[in-house]
Amino acid sequence: MHDSILTYARSRYLWIASALSAASLIAYNLYDPGGPPNGGTWLGYTLGTIGALLIVWLMLFGMRKRRYGSHTGTLRGWLSAHIYLGTSLILIVLLHAGFQFGWNIHTFAFVLMLFVIFSGFFGVYVYLRYPNLMTRNRESATRDAMLDEVAEIDQNALALADGIDPKIHAIVLRSIQNTRLGGGVWTQLRAHDGSDIALDSLHAAMAERDKRADMKTTEMPTMFAMVDFLAGRATDKQGEAMRALIDLISRKKGLATKVARDIQYQAMMEIWLYIHVPLSFALLAALIAHIVSSFFYW
Amino acid sequence: MRWLIRRVLKKSKGAVSYEEDVHYGDVLTIGRAADQAIFLPDLRAALNHARVTLLASGQYKIESLILAGIRVNDAITYTTTAGPGVVVAIGNTRLTLLAAPQDYDAAVEVSTLDQSEQKAESAQRAKPTRLVQTGLSKRRPSWILFAGILVFGLILPMIGHFVPGFGEMLRRTPLLPSTQSWNPGTLDAAHHFFARDCTRCHQTAFLTVRDKACLACHANTAAHADPVKFNLPQLGNAQCRTCHQDHQGLRGLIRRDQRLCSDCHADLKARTKGASSFADVSDFGTNHPEFKVNLPQWDANGKFAPVRTTWTADLKEDSGLKFNHEKHLKPEGLNTPNGHRVLTCATCHVPDAGGAKMRPVNFETMCHDCHKLGFDTLAPDREVPHGKVAAVAYTLSEYYAKVALEGGYQDARSPDIVQQRRRPGAPPLSQQQQQEALAWARQRAREATDSLFTGKACSTCHKVTPPRTPDDTWHVAPVRVSGVWYADAKFTHAKHTTVKCEDCHAGAAKSTQSSDLLIPGIANCRTCHGGAKAKNKVATTCIACHDYHQSATLKMGTL
Repeated sequence: MHDSILTYARSRYLWIASALSAASLIAYNLYDPGGPPNGGTWLGYTLGTIGALLIVWLMLFGMRKRRYGSHTGTLRGWLSAHIYLGTSLILIVLLHAGFQFGWNIHTFAFVLMLFVIFSGFFGVYVYLRYPNLMTRNRESATRDAMLDEVAEIDQNALALADGIDPKIHAIVLRSIQNTRLGGGVWTQLRAHDGSDIALDSLHAAMAERDKRADMKTTEMPTMFAMVDFLAGRATDKQGEAMRALIDLISRKKGLATKVARDIQYQAMMEIWLYIHVPLSFALLAALIAHIVSSFFYW
Repeated sequence: MRWLIRRVLKKSKGAVSYEEDVHYGDVLTIGRAADQAIFLPDLRAALNHARVTLLASGQYKIESLILAGIRVNDAITYTTTAGPGVVVAIGNTRLTLLAAPQDYDAAVEVSTLDQSEQKAESAQRAKPTRLVQTGLSKRRPSWILFAGILVFGLILPMIGHFVPGFGEMLRRTPLLPSTQSWNPGTLDAAHHFFARDCTRCHQTAFLTVRDKACLACHANTAAHADPVKFNLPQLGNAQCRTCHQDHQGLRGLIRRDQRLCSDCHADLKARTKGASSFADVSDFGTNHPEFKVNLPQWDANGKFAPVRTTWTADLKEDSGLKFNHEKHLKPEGLNTPNGHRVLTCATCHVPDAGGAKMRPVNFETMCHDCHKLGFDTLAPDREVPHGKVAAVAYTLSEYYAKVALEGGYQDARSPDIVQQRRRPGAPPLSQQQQQEALAWARQRAREATDSLFTGKACSTCHKVTPPRTPDDTWHVAPVRVSGVWYADAKFTHAKHTTVKCEDCHAGAAKSTQSSDLLIPGIANCRTCHGGAKAKNKVATTCIACHDYHQSATLKMGTL
């Protein structure tokens, strides 16, 4: 049976993380530090040590991920543990600090940790949701196949457009240039391609041609009715070419949208790591500063 | 105008040959139409795609004639002016505008990309479709953040610790982190005045705060108990920081929890192997011995030396005073020389300025309205002072000596010389008359003294004893009405103003004997106060009534 990273090994790590959290909570409630709860008590040091070791271990996941020959458990197991133990870290660190916050390096480390953990939550969400979306979007084609098809459509559209009118040819030519697949970070994440501009231009060009040809038409028909009208009005051969061109461009738009969405899904599945990983290292530095400064001024 | 059109013909194995052509005209037209100067048999070219015009300055004006534009030096362009060397790309044709060779006005080189070149170009022109291709990096920001936080969060403040001048500069510069950024929490209010100077307490890096740092100010703080006498590791090895952790807020420095005391006092007798005389205590509500009350007593020299006794319900005290509370606290009130008055506890028992204990009862302001100290019915306004026995005797002998010598004392029992009124101009008393008069005065003063001490005045309230020898005077027993009854606890009336006097001093209104001990025991406190974990009572830990630093003799600085 297929189980997700969350239910890996019958949610073994959910239970482990829950047990760790429960034990910390019980200890926190039973232990009377004699003053306000804080990181400098016996329990505070214990929870702090557990938290620091957890953070270091969670960061080792980045190394384990790359070591394909490793025999220390499956990567799925590691990821499942990474998620659950990382989540339990919020509670453990809160208890370690005794819910004391301030404008200092210590709370700074805590805030960084929260950013890392919540960016990780986003990662869990996209890992669980996006592979499905991606498969559904691709409809069992690969991205390269789709791109090849787009290029082929471009060629065919040019040939068709050339047979209709030089102006239509120019529009199609422009549409080829305007179709942006991929691009900067923002473009990739927005899933925006320029192909619909081409279709709009094409429709606009037709509308203009129609106006010139039949000035008596006062009522503005819808785009598709107009295309039909145009196709019907023109010579049979031209009309057929026009219909074929519209079909082609529409198909291309569909494909381009799919490719753009494919790029977007992939980017979404990766982008959070560009926050998660650098912030983890920021957290590691803040953790070192937190620990060393605590003992520097013991 | 003569244009040189040089076509580059690529042959197999990389060989290249050129074919030159001449075009006449100002404008070089480019497109797929047959009439174009440069004919491009490529669907990606429009019929009239672009034109190049030679400008007088040797520059070329390049214009696109269609919406799609042209690629000039790899950027989509509609109109531009450029010099020789510029490359115009249309489809897979490359037009390079050249400087005019001899005999020509302008020149252009036309080449066509072969398949591998086309592929390479489209690959180069392809936009990134994965985030890794966009220049976004994980490694670089990771290193920058790691190093930045380590430098600003740790290393700079650390240098500031070792180089005080640098540390001061860091503290004064906004946004720069000093050791203040390590401050884990607000210092106790008492320590705020040196809060910016971490090294006042944290004197050596990586060492815990030493007692030396605390004792710089707190040398005179009382110690707890003598570690030599009580050989306990908890006592001998205790450091200030064992109990006092700062940075826990404005009132966070002082421990008030029960464990502070009960850790040792729960089994103190066994722990000290009998060295301690204290009973074992672990919780005020459930395991605390009956109070030890200080009953008033005086030693042979008359010095106040209270006796520490375990409180019991029927314990008697001897304050040295005779007083009937019931008589004075009649609810219907008393008829006094100054009119009708209803006395209450507060009439006589007034808290002292600190609110902890009661002020001593004052005769002049509290008793004197009713209890006059007159001694002679012929002089009802005259009274002896409420003071020392000797002062009473002086007052009486002086008063009667004056009366005897001045005469006019209208008492039939007294000698004539005392009764006779002295007239102005009369001869002075003879020595014999004077002696007679003063002898009467001495006699009268003695009678008055005896009557005061035995009759209605002094002995009403005081225990008096007659002179033991002829030269002796009367004796009045010392009095202690108010004071500290529980010397080992910090009881204060000021904190208990929400309850009525009789809530604790229950029997006072009905007490007829001054020996009734009206001080309550532990049971009375426990009606409101419970131990640390009391649920429906005031949760009270040891520190509510007792101090840790309580030794009367030992100081922290000299321990």
